[in-house]
Amino acid sequence: MNCLQKKICLFFIVSSFIVFLSVCFISCSPQNKPSQAEGIKIWHWMSDRDEALQELARKYETQTGVKVTFELYAPSDAYTQKIRAAAQTNTLPDIFGILGEKRDFASFIKAGHIYNLTDDMIRDNYAWENKLFAKALAVNEFKEGNNFNVEPGIYGVPMDVTNIQMLYNKDLLRSAGLDPDNPPRTWDEFLAANRLLKEKGIQGLVSGWGEIWMIDCFASNYAFNIMGEDKVLDTIRGNVPYTDPDWIRVFDLFRQMRDEGVLASGVVTMVNKTAEQLFANNRAAFAFNGSWCVNVYHGMDPDLDYGAMLPPRVSDNHPMVIWGGAGSSFMVNKSSANVEKAVAFLKWLTDDDQQAFLARKTNNLPSNKNSLKDIPAILAQFANDMDNTTHPNVWGVAEFPIVIETFNKGIQSIIIKEKTPESLAEEVQAMKKRELMKMK
Amino acid sequence: MREGTRYKIERFFKDSLIHLFLIIVAVTCIFPLLWMVGSSLKTQQAVFSDMSIIPKHPVWTNFYDAWTKGGFGVYFLNSIFYTVTVVSGIVIVSSLAAFAFSRLKFPGKNVLFYMFLGAMMIPLPGSFVPLYVLMTKLHLVNTRIGYILCMINVGLSFSIYLLKTFFDKMPPALEDAARIDGCSKLGIWWNVALPLARPAIAVIVIFNSLNVWNEYILATLIFSSKSLMPLQRGLMIFQGTHITQYPLLMAGMTITVLPIILVYLLMQKHIIKGITAGAIVG
Repeated sequence: MNCLQKKICLFFIVSSFIVFLSVCFISCSPQNKPSQAEGIKIWHWMSDRDEALQELARKYETQTGVKVTFELYAPSDAYTQKIRAAAQTNTLPDIFGILGEKRDFASFIKAGHIYNLTDDMIRDNYAWENKLFAKALAVNEFKEGNNFNVEPGIYGVPMDVTNIQMLYNKDLLRSAGLDPDNPPRTWDEFLAANRLLKEKGIQGLVSGWGEIWMIDCFASNYAFNIMGEDKVLDTIRGNVPYTDPDWIRVFDLFRQMRDEGVLASGVVTMVNKTAEQLFANNRAAFAFNGSWCVNVYHGMDPDLDYGAMLPPRVSDNHPMVIWGGAGSSFMVNKSSANVEKAVAFLKWLTDDDQQAFLARKTNNLPSNKNSLKDIPAILAQFANDMDNTTHPNVWGVAEFPIVIETFNKGIQSIIIKEKTPESLAEEVQAMKKRELMKMK
Repeated sequence: MREGTRYKIERFFKDSLIHLFLIIVAVTCIFPLLWMVGSSLKTQQAVFSDMSIIPKHPVWTNFYDAWTKGGFGVYFLNSIFYTVTVVSGIVIVSSLAAFAFSRLKFPGKNVLFYMFLGAMMIPLPGSFVPLYVLMTKLHLVNTRIGYILCMINVGLSFSIYLLKTFFDKMPPALEDAARIDGCSKLGIWWNVALPLARPAIAVIVIFNSLNVWNEYILATLIFSSKSLMPLQRGLMIFQGTHITQYPLLMAGMTITVLPIILVYLLMQKHIIKGITAGAIVG
């Protein structure tokens, strides 16, 4: 091939490439701007619920004639990036969700991206609000005088709720001579049951405490039970020290579990997926896990016979309070051309029938209180304790992140015998003092 | 005789140790692949209870389910289209740019080149929001061309750097000879530089093919239409917040790795050549 022929060949390749790109350019016009004619556009991240949501969208279109398009962007990291980028360019869809902390939620509201749903919630004598779990709404609510300086109101609609409880394996309890219909209700009963299980070579409690927020959750449950909500919140405000005997009592529960051999081996570094696998494979009698586990265990072993209960209480002076609240929530785009349609759809989606359908199809707890009668028994057990839930996001005060980290890692150290409850209390208090000094 | 035996024994042990080490490395490399194929033939329950690589009762329908539920048909074609277009674009643009940086003299050459090197240091997630803003302003969101241009941009820095170092080693005598034969600058790039850089281009093709084939985050950002999404979108639907459908995910992954293994096998010879050719270019 001579030089001229090669030049022609090169020219042909480059030209084809340019033509090709031009064709792509012309043929694919932007389709991102939502308009009234297109109906409602919803961006979500819940791949396990996509099929059920699509089915509901079709049903809604049949009933009302309004087209609803659910667009799935998973995993949640990618979804979060997309929402942030769309907010920057004012191209958010009619309905979307915000994943992350409450301060992210607040920044979206302050930037004018989220519609205030309070008027719709309280219309007709609080008809919509009263249908939903108050604890689920609290996560989407900003109260008067909130730290984020957001105008008070309800800004999100919970699609489902979650809470974190203790699970017990009925077969393993039975094999240790325990009554599976009467799981331990008090701490002493729990320790006694574990002694029996240990004799039979069965591991006691398993949980993903390698993900340290789960330790925080467990410790928080017992702090509320031992000293009550006011004292816990006073500690966060800096009015009660972590060296208080009640806090040492909370830390001592982990020492007790360690000394009695209650905890499954490797629990300190265990991720929740491994913990779920151990419980589903009948290798631990108790688990500390969230209501999402119903779906997980069903996938791992559909025949697993288990029940849910509140963590066994230590004290009778205060109730056992568990972490829970809204699982996934949707928000309405304030600048959407379809605000009214979007609100009407969310109202429909959280109505009794749709919520029961979602719960049955996806094994998640419905956010509608009236839908509980139609859901599986194990989910109902979780749902029955929704009134005992709380969440750091609704406390109104927040602990310093470094104090939380010292607290959680310190508990891990107690479990591996590197620290005592007393030394951890001193350490956490010292960290708290340091942070408070910085504030001053 | 005794010395010879001792030498043989020593060599045998040395070789055994080296081979043992290599076998361990090979097993650790290949184990995830075997686990992936093994899990693709199990049920969801068996993934968590049956620890063997080869399942007792293989579920072949997982591949069919993954293909249909994941909508792999459209995504597969899209991925092939994006990979071919982006890699072709990267090879053409980066080889021209690298040749210019290496062989031409123009003002600001070094500053421009260092800017390209600097771009290599910015991780893709860090540039998501500005990229999305730019694409929106250019009305290229939710278009194939928007995604293709972004992906070409992502792969350019490394490819230009690699090719420039390759062209730098090319003897000026070759260029002079081509000029005497009547070749223009473009002719030298086409007739002399590119054929010599074939091993480097093979490396660029493989790296960028892998990158484009496995890319998903940018696609999520730019596309809203399912019909424009690449293959990785099909895999993501098997991953929930708390639940992952492992058998379908693994079956889908087995399907997706096959073309890329094919590309690697086709280019393997050139890569090995490239390793040796680097020293004797020209």
